[in-house]
This record gives sequence, C-alpha cells and structure tokens, in this order.
Amino acid sequence: MLTRIVTFLIFFAIIGCILYGKKLIKTEKVDAVFGNPERAKGGTHWIIVGSSVILLVWLYYSWDIAKSFYPKSANELCQVGKVNDSLLSLKYLFPIEERQFKSTFVIKSENKNINKLAKEIKNTSSIRDQDKNKLLRLIVKTKNTIPLLTNEKLLENENKIKINELTNKINQLTKEFQKINYPGETAEEESKRIEEAKKEGEWGASGTAVEQTVEIPIIPKTKKGLKFEAAAKELKIISDEFFKLRNHNPKYKNAFKEIKDEIKKYRSELDDTQEIASALAKDVLKIARRIEYASIFPPQTLDGLQKSILKFDQVQKKEQGHLRYVDILLFPSGTIVSSGPSCSEQGSGRWLPKPSDTLNKFILLLKPSVGFKNIPLIWYEMMDVSQIIGFILPDWIADIIPGKYPVHNDAGKVEPNFKSKVLNIATGEFKLFKIPIPSGHIWDSFLRVFLGLVLGIIFGVPLGLFMGLNRFAKGFFDPLIELYRPVPPLAWAPLIISVLGIDNVGKIFLLFMVSFSIMIISARAGASGTQLSKIHASHSLGASRWQILRYVIFPNSLPEILTGVRVAIGMCWGTLVAAEFLAGTTGIGFVENVAKKYFQYEVIWITIFVMGMLGLLFDVTLRKIIDKTIPWRGKG
Amino acid sequence: MKKILSFILGCIVALNLSMSVANSAANEVRVAFFLEWPTPNQEDKVKKLFDKALGVPVKWTNFSNGGAMTDAMLAGDIDISYSQGLVPFINAVKSKAPLKLVDIAMEYGMGGTTCVTSNASGITKANASELEGKKVAVPLGTMAEYVFDESMKVVGADRGKMDVIQMDPEEGAAALVSGDVVMACLFGGNSIKAATAVGSRLLTVQEARDAGILGIDITSVTDKFMKENPGMLRTFIEVTHEANARYASGKSDLNVIAKDAEMKLADMKETIGGFKFLTPAETKKSMESGNLDGFLKGMGTPDGAVDTSFLPL
Repeated sequence: MLTRIVTFLIFFAIIGCILYGKKLIKTEKVDAVFGNPERAKGGTHWIIVGSSVILLVWLYYSWDIAKSFYPKSANELCQVGKVNDSLLSLKYLFPIEERQFKSTFVIKSENKNINKLAKEIKNTSSIRDQDKNKLLRLIVKTKNTIPLLTNEKLLENENKIKINELTNKINQLTKEFQKINYPGETAEEESKRIEEAKKEGEWGASGTAVEQTVEIPIIPKTKKGLKFEAAAKELKIISDEFFKLRNHNPKYKNAFKEIKDEIKKYRSELDDTQEIASALAKDVLKIARRIEYASIFPPQTLDGLQKSILKFDQVQKKEQGHLRYVDILLFPSGTIVSSGPSCSEQGSGRWLPKPSDTLNKFILLLKPSVGFKNIPLIWYEMMDVSQIIGFILPDWIADIIPGKYPVHNDAGKVEPNFKSKVLNIATGEFKLFKIPIPSGHIWDSFLRVFLGLVLGIIFGVPLGLFMGLNRFAKGFFDPLIELYRPVPPLAWAPLIISVLGIDNVGKIFLLFMVSFSIMIISARAGASGTQLSKIHASHSLGASRWQILRYVIFPNSLPEILTGVRVAIGMCWGTLVAAEFLAGTTGIGFVENVAKKYFQYEVIWITIFVMGMLGLLFDVTLRKIIDKTIPWRGKG
Repeated sequence: MKKILSFILGCIVALNLSMSVANSAANEVRVAFFLEWPTPNQEDKVKKLFDKALGVPVKWTNFSNGGAMTDAMLAGDIDISYSQGLVPFINAVKSKAPLKLVDIAMEYGMGGTTCVTSNASGITKANASELEGKKVAVPLGTMAEYVFDESMKVVGADRGKMDVIQMDPEEGAAALVSGDVVMACLFGGNSIKAATAVGSRLLTVQEARDAGILGIDITSVTDKFMKENPGMLRTFIEVTHEANARYASGKSDLNVIAKDAEMKLADMKETIGGFKFLTPAETKKSMESGNLDGFLKGMGTPDGAVDTSFLPL
C-alpha cells in the first residue's frame, strides 16, 4: 500500500517540479550572463526531480510497482512459467524461438565434425595406411546412418501413431484450455487449494528473518493460475512421452550396431603401440552415439506437432489476458521463471531488491536483538569508565612502585597490597560508573574511517605546510611521498594483513595511508599558494614567524586543506570496504561480503545505502564546517 | 526537454533489451572449474577431448570459490560448474536459483578441506575447547565452513563462543602464519601447505573420516542449458566418468593434470589421493539415498534440486 502511495507521489512530484521549473525559466529575470555562478544557485525542485527519478527507476526495475499494484501477478506468472518450463524442451526442437530445427542443427554440426575428423585421420602420419582406410570407412558408415533417420519412408508406424497421438493430445488440451471451467475443480478442492495458498504467504521477502530470501508462492491463488498449472502438468507428461520416443528403425539399429561392433572389434585387435588409432576410433564412435542420442526425425514428420505447439502457445498467450501486459510493462528486463519445484525472479528483480522489502529488512537488521551475525548494526553498550582509565594509564606504572606483588599465603588467600591495587587501576580492573558507548557494525566502520582521517590530518597537515615552506623538508620528503602516493591504497592491503594483522590497527593504518598523502598534498598546495603580498604585509607589520604561520599562511591554506579532507573521506570509504572484505568480524564491508556469499541481495543493498548515507553525512557536516569556519573561501 | 525524454526512453528500451538477450543455441559450452583442485578430466580438458566429444568448443574458466560460480551461472556466463562445493550450491538453491545438481564430481575426506591450529597456540583435539574466545579464520558459505561446524561438534567446542573471522583460504593461511588467528579452516593444496608449515590439522584425515565428516563436490548446471542441450550434458558427464575410470586404472597422465591445476606433481598427487571419484552407479546411490542425499537433507535443501537422469548408467 505504501509503495502505491509513494509511486503516485513520485509521479506528481516529477510532473509538478518539471512544470514549476519550466515556469520559473519563463518568468524569472536573471541578470547573470552565461558563465556567472549565480545561474547555478537554487533549484530545489530539480533536486526533487533527480531523486524521484532514481526512486522511480528503482521501484520499476525491482518490480516493486508490479508487486504493489498487482500483488497476485507473480503467483500467476509463476504458473505461466510452469507452462513455459514444460514446453521448453519441446519448443527447442522447432524453429519457434530458434532459427532452425534442432535436427537440422545437429546434422549440420555433426557433418562438420565428421569432416574434421576425416581430415585429422588423413593427416595423422603415425598410423598405418590400413588403419587410415579402416577408420575412414567407419566414418563414411557413420555418416550414412543420418539418412536412415531422416528418411520419411523408414519411419516406423508405431512412432507415427505415437506422434499423432501426442499431437492430438496437445490439440485436445488447447481446446480444453480455452474453456472457462478448465480443469474442472470441485468446490472442495478449491477451498483446500485456497487454504494451502494462504498458508504459503505472499510474494516478497520475509520481514521476520534475515536469512530468508524472496519467495514467490507456487500454489496457484487464482482461477487463471490454476488453469496454467493444470496445463503445465499435462504438457510435462506429453513432453516426457515425446522424449522417450526414439526414431530408431530396424535398419538404423542394425547400422549402428554394426558400427559399434566393428569399432569394438577393431580396437580390441590393436595393441598398445597403436593408441592413436584406438583413440580416433573412439572419436568416431562418439559421433555415432551423439547422432543416436539426438532426436533426429524426418523433416516433415513433426509438422503436425509443431503446429499444435504453436497453436497452444498462441492460445495460452491469449488466455493470459492482461497478465501479459503486466509482464511486459511492469516486469522489465526479466520475468518470473519456474524451475523444478520453485519459482524465482530472474532478471533485474533478482539482484535489485524491492524498496519495500529492503526497508523491511533494514528495520529488522536495525533491531539490536537481530543485527547481522549477532552484532547489531548500530546500538550502544554500557561500558565502565574504569576501562578508559585503564586504557590510558600504562601498566608499567605499577611495576615501578617499590615492593613486590602479593603472594598467596598458607591459608590459600591472596592479600592485595598497594602495588597490586595500583596495577588494578592501571589495567582498569575496578568499578566506577558506566556510560553508554555506541557499538555495532556501522559504528565500527565509522570509527575506523574517523580515526584514519584524524590521524591523516594530524600528521599530514603540519608536514604538508612544512614542505610548502621549507626547502629541506620539501627535498627530503618529496621523493618518499611522491613514490607512495600514486600507489592505489588497496595495493597495500595484502601486505598490511601480514605485517599489522587483521585487527583494527591494520585497517586504520590503511585508511591513514590514504588520507595522509591527500592531506600533505593539499596542505602543501595551500601553503605555497599564499599570496606573497599578504606575507610581505604581515612582515612589515612586525609579525613573528609563528604569527605569520598561524594568522596568514594557515588560514590561507584552510580552504585547500578542507577540500582535501572531503576528498580523503571519499577515498577512505572506498578503501574501508575493501579492507573489511579481507578479514573482519564487524563493519559494513564485512556485512556486505558475507551477505554476498548467501545471496542476500537486500542486505547487500542496505550496506550500499548505509555507506552512501554515511558518506553524505560526513560530506554535509564538512560543508557546514567549511561555511562556518572559513567564510573567506574563494574571496582571497 | 523532448531530447532528454527520448534519451531516457531510449536508455530504458536498450537496458530492457540488453538484459533479456541470453545465449540461445549452444555454439560453445562454458564450464567453470577450480585451480589447485586436480581432477582426472583435466587431462581431457587439456587434450581437447571434451570439445571432440561434445562436438562444440568447450570454454573453461577458473573460479576462486563456488559462490562466484553460481553468480556467473545466474548471469548466463557459465553453463556447467564442475566440482562446485556442495555448500555454495545449497545456498544458491535455497535462494531459488534455477540450478540443478546432475553429478557428483568427487567425495573427499578432510584431505582437501581442513581446519589447522597453529603450533604456537598449543591447541589440539584434546584441549579444543580452548578455542572458545579466540579468533578463528573461516571462509564463510563454503565447504570449509561446513567442515568447521562439524569438526567443532566432534571436538566439543562451541562455535558461538569463538570469534569467527571471514577470510578466504589464502588470507586465512597468512593470518595463521602471522599468529593473528589460532585456527584457520581452509581448502586448496597450497593454502593448506602454508598453514600446516606452522600448525597441524585439528583432526587428521582418518579421524575426520571416522567422524563422518566428508566433503562432496558436485557438477551443477543451469536449468536452461539442461533443458536445451540434454545430449551435451550427458556427454560431458560421460567423458568425466570415463576420465575417472581411467584414473582409477592408473592410466591418467598425472603431469598434464598437475600442470593444468597449477600445482607441483607431488602436491597434486597428495591432493588427488584424498579424493574419491565415484562410479556412475555409486553416484546414483549417493544422490538418491547415500551421502549426498543425507547432506542435502541435513542442510535443509528444498526438494527437486537433484537430477540423476544424466548419469551414464
């Protein structure tokens, strides 16, 4: 229901905003000439159009529109899919969806293979001439079996009758199929079917478990669906019966047996030194057996069957009625396909989950009790402040206090002394008060990016400024930085796992490497880009070196530095996911990587959106900071 | 405005068309396989005997894990996956992928897939409960995860209490060497070799076999290919079983197989020695009521994923 409303809203939003935009262009008097940045200002309505189009494309290609407007269509299409599934093997024999008969194709390709093999035999120098002649004779014999299969006169009466029978069956089915009450279900059966169909549930991903993927109910819910299901069952029987038929008339059987025996005899006579001849003989036999297995019939024999199948196909398309248009229009780039006992979405609907399903799954994942692999996406934990103190205080403080650590006494008790009490404080083993600390996959990823970025800024910006101002620093660090900067950060990844391990240290270091070089470059560019006149002015006003650095050069390079931070954030996110792919127990990248292994497309898309949103959040925050802290940007 | 609209419409039409085009008549058969996973039919692969037997060119593509094979099959780039692990296949079928299991490539003990604990940690089968609270590397969603689960049941350790880290075998081996994890579950000859250099198997091959831990690799095929080219599929399986029979009688050219698997001959011999290639009759039995059937049922696989009609009996 929600999807329907959203779809309508999007439509109206797009149309309204486009109309508004057009009107604005007509009425608005802009003094700005082309090239003036003023012309690009404003335009919230275009933002709405842009995001609406993205949403609409998503709704459309994930087949969510089909699901919300025609919730039963998937179930009905599943039944149609069953019919197609039953017909597939039969259809493939005829030029219905192919260009030629399967028989024609097989004969063509086998003739080619026979010629190729004959050539190979002729060109093989390591076998005796008598073997060559023998093999070539066998090949000719094999080739001569084909006409035995394609000759109308040789077709057995039994087979003729059977084919006619099957044709009639399909024709009969076609007739029955058009009747309204086909397949004649009793009221009792109907209520039972509807009962079972209800139990199966609706089309869509489950909102109660992460593992379950998209389900399409397979028991027909509607009369139309039932019709197709019944027809599919009958067609399957017909198809199976047909493929049991073998156009092996006595003459062919004899010829084939002769070839088989001859090759067997010939191969048994050969000794170990003539392996090549033996292998070639085997190849001949393989071709003969392929011809035997293929359903080759005389060209006109199956005409009746082909016509009846075509007729049925037409009828079943007609019987689909409006479902056909739903299929074409609302199931773009794919459709519901039936295979064996289940139906599935094949096409864009498979890998592009529906927005409604994705939202449900996201809400489910957000529940701290569910999460992903027992870790919530984002939640909080209560942590004792003592642990923070323990983390900050180094443990050796206790070691340097004079005295010894307590030893257990005769009574088997350990009496703590001052030294051991200090150790407890240094390691955080005491109770203070608890504070909530965020935790979960999103928080872990966020923290890694944040730490990598902050470290990059702390080390990169001073070094960059230094390099922009000092000849020694520039000369000394330049080769190093320039060598490592162009290396894609992921190139370090395998090495970092070996050196720094799989914990956070390695991942944060990887991100630090990314942000570090970007920060150096931008700080350096900012420092060396300061206008000389400003520096001269401050010198003449009597500013010290520190003052010039603090009040002239640093503010001047801030715009460059903050742009660098924005770039670094983007790069860090990109690297983070790959780093978490390598080894991990938490993090968005880990979630995505594991979801991929279990084909949980909803979860994959959720991670993609979360990353997009977090990246956006970072960026928007920075933009705000930039606007607040450096209003002089672009005006120096 | 009109230009923009027509451009968008054009894009949509193009997208719809490009996605619905799939390969129709099989002018080549595309097969997925593993490196470092030697099988007798690789001799036929190198000598182009498959091409001859099927009558069309056979294109072989190597993959690093079975999940990727499924992805490629669903995208229409692969027709047959040879020696796909059973676990990735089950995951795919559970998510309703139109795939069928048509043959068993091989059964193997823990020779090819195993968990290795580092010597430095001092953890062995006897004190395996010490694994709890420590880090272990497991390639999730593969046969190695199954082996991990089963091994933990055997040694009586609780998986839930361990810190399971998702790592592919090569990285798992590296992490075991560097001491980041105390145990790594892996597959592939080279990875196991690297891991056993600093550690030892938690369960020996024999112990694993006694405990009934057994890996099964299968041949899976897309529904579409199966329906359209039953003859080719049959021939493919037949040639594979012929190669297995040849290997059983000791007539395989092991050098060729080792080279194609990108392994040293000695390593290759050790790996392939741990494989059990079933005869068609044994395969059918395993698929209908034996090991494979039990495995599928144990993992809650939906019915109808197995088709025995292509076995050369």
